[in-house]
Amino acid sequence: MARSMCWHCQSAVTGEYFCERCVKVQPVSKETDYFTCLGFPRRLTLDPKQLEAKFYELSRTFHPDFYQTKTPAEQTISLGNAAVLNTAYRTLRDPIQRAEYLLGLETGSVKDIRTSPPADLFEEILELQDTLEEYRSSERDSQEGQKLRTVLETEQRGLEQRKQEMEAQLQRLFTEWDQLQDRGEATSQTRAERDRLLKQMRDLLSNRTYVTSIVSDLAATIA
Amino acid sequence: MAYSDKVVDHFNNPRNMGSFKKDEDGVGTGMVGAPECGDVMKLQIKVQNDTIVDAKFKTFGCGSAIASSSLATEWLKGKTIEEAQQIKNTDIVQELNLPPVKIHCSVLAEDAIKAALADYQKKADGQPSDTK
Repeated sequence: MARSMCWHCQSAVTGEYFCERCVKVQPVSKETDYFTCLGFPRRLTLDPKQLEAKFYELSRTFHPDFYQTKTPAEQTISLGNAAVLNTAYRTLRDPIQRAEYLLGLETGSVKDIRTSPPADLFEEILELQDTLEEYRSSERDSQEGQKLRTVLETEQRGLEQRKQEMEAQLQRLFTEWDQLQDRGEATSQTRAERDRLLKQMRDLLSNRTYVTSIVSDLAATIA
Repeated sequence: MAYSDKVVDHFNNPRNMGSFKKDEDGVGTGMVGAPECGDVMKLQIKVQNDTIVDAKFKTFGCGSAIASSSLATEWLKGKTIEEAQQIKNTDIVQELNLPPVKIHCSVLAEDAIKAALADYQKKADGQPSDTK
């Protein structure tokens, strides 16, 4: 952890969450990323069981209930840490959110990665939106309404399948990314590889969001 | 937070909804998306003698995104290319009274305008001018 001095006894902090000398709880620094906070390496494939176990362990460590008899300073720290911990766990628990978060860490801002907008996908979404609009204004039981419904149902199945394919592809990229990190080399080749993976993940994550959004709209309309 | 009256008005009565043929003469198409929320916006301009004579949009997204693009097409009509370049997302925020969480919708509209103008320029540059 990127902390140097205990807020209480001013000695160098060597323990992870507590000062080893005076045993006071230490605030999780604002610069600490969620991976470090939960004691995991910056990887995209994490074991959910391990993650959950660590979360519970740290929840017990920081829970404000256990600090009721402590000083106000310690109570404030425990409250702050518990909040950070909750956000960290919520973010890392979900593979997609975890990837979005890691991309943010790796690139400063996710927007810094130049991506080409998927024009074909956009056209498709807008066309589908037109069909949805037609369906909404049609008589549900009419021949026309039923025909539109069949079209939309087919589209929905197709899009859901594509979403699954995207997720499978993301999973492969996650593994590739982790392998690259594990190798830990810093050559121009690995840097190029790193940039390629980041861009591909960025594109896929964005496209997945567009597809998810239209799928949920479809589902809500024809449900 | 509730939507402002202007947003609701544009949402209920969107102006200039629809599209032009992409390959039509003088038509510029801007297609943009917001990966954060999944909104998609298509904005098109029709240009004659350096002036935007018509504009259309299609947006799949929240009320603010629809209102932002609807307002953008209203503003674009009658403007020259140069004037259109000056439209800023902050103008849209101000006009529609967008809350902070919806500012990205106006950014999307500005991006769409820029993309449509760029597309028009690209097409215009590619074709030899026969007017002069």
